[in-house]
Amino acid sequence: MFDNNVFIEGSCKNFSEDGKVSGYEMTTNITYYRGIPLSMVEYIHVDVDGERASDEDIRISVDQNDWFSMKEAETVTTYKWEYGDPLYIRVLKDGGLSKGQHKVALTVATRTAYIPVPLEGIKEREVVID
Amino acid sequence: MSKIKMAVSLYSLQDEYLNHRMNLSEIMSYVKENGAEGIEILPDQMLKGAPHVSDETVSEFKSLLTKNDLKPVCADVFLNTNLYKNRSLTRKESIDLLIEEIKQANSLGIHLIRLVSMVPYWVIRPLIPYCEQYDVTIALEVHAGMAFDIPQTREFIEEMKKVNSPYVGLVIDTGIFCRRLPRVVRAYEGSIGTSESVFDYIDELFKNGTDLHQDLIKNNGFSEGFKAAMKSEHDKMSAPLLDGYENYDYSVLDEYLPYIKHFHFKMWEMTQEGPEFSIDFKGLLQYLHEKDYDGYVACEYEGNRFTLAGQPMQEKQQVKMFLNYIGGCLKEIQG
Repeated sequence: MFDNNVFIEGSCKNFSEDGKVSGYEMTTNITYYRGIPLSMVEYIHVDVDGERASDEDIRISVDQNDWFSMKEAETVTTYKWEYGDPLYIRVLKDGGLSKGQHKVALTVATRTAYIPVPLEGIKEREVVID
Repeated sequence: MSKIKMAVSLYSLQDEYLNHRMNLSEIMSYVKENGAEGIEILPDQMLKGAPHVSDETVSEFKSLLTKNDLKPVCADVFLNTNLYKNRSLTRKESIDLLIEEIKQANSLGIHLIRLVSMVPYWVIRPLIPYCEQYDVTIALEVHAGMAFDIPQTREFIEEMKKVNSPYVGLVIDTGIFCRRLPRVVRAYEGSIGTSESVFDYIDELFKNGTDLHQDLIKNNGFSEGFKAAMKSEHDKMSAPLLDGYENYDYSVLDEYLPYIKHFHFKMWEMTQEGPEFSIDFKGLLQYLHEKDYDGYVACEYEGNRFTLAGQPMQEKQQVKMFLNYIGGCLKEIQG
């Protein structure tokens, strides 16, 4: 139902820290129709060419300044993921994604106010890493 | 003499906003140009930082209302009881969150809060002093699938009647007045794998004057006929979600009219011929006219989430068609 909100086109690329490529990142809109605190992000999965990244390697941020692991995000109630603003997702991986084409699938699930199951959205994109 | 006025819930234009095709200013101008007198807003959707919006955001919101001569009719409020993964909020935490929402509504110049369905009855008494202080009414949404037969709604209504305060009431969502399943729902759910036989079964229920919600209750789950209509695992997963389209008679509202503060005119598809595909808005407006309803009916377009892959979003057109049609009905009924 909210699949179309997931994985903003053209957003997947490698990122560098301290002069070396430390992983890859992407952005997504929310799988809900309103903004929520980060603690209400139920889970995020990233699959590259059929292989799922470890939860422990995922970091999320709403401002690109403060990054949280998924475990940390469970208590983050004062940073809000606004409707219409992207969530920044990073996957820590030395060297990032290899050059060339990849199939990257992003799964985002949020907890909602009265719907008993999390609202999940999934989108796979063909990504080219330069 | 009824005084029914038209509003638009900005929820109706959520995809335009999410994808930055329209900002709040453009949305307000659009609904005004097409005949709305008021707006309803989800602060969590279109106001940054809710429920603690900045003074600057409040001032921008108010200036857009003034510029477009629109009344802010209702704030749609949610209760994040599942804010944390490992536990539900306590009663105190829940009430404190809603107090913040009441204060925010007041600062935005909004005097009515729609509490989302399933908000528990025990918030009412602790909130009333704040409702009075900030002149904000709280009203529970009566929504299809979570309407008058659901314990949480019944408990809220019972407490509302006991308390009998002008600051506590109900918002009615017209999804409870479906006379057939929306065809956009059929098309969308069908496109992702639900069998035609499932929809045929539900269509037959509507033809017989009932609906899937009642059928599930009557049979204490799936009837034999419904089981037979479900051909796959996908059907078994998706079919129960089709119970959110109820087929009440308007007279169900008779008892609650003194408490009704507002209407969500939920709609999935305004047709080229004029009426909504599933709901007879004209009949409902006639009923409300006869009951002297004095308040707003707000367009709540939800066909957006059933847009077929690759098809353009119809939010702007659907809102415009709604306002044209309802405006015409009101002219005819109210003069």
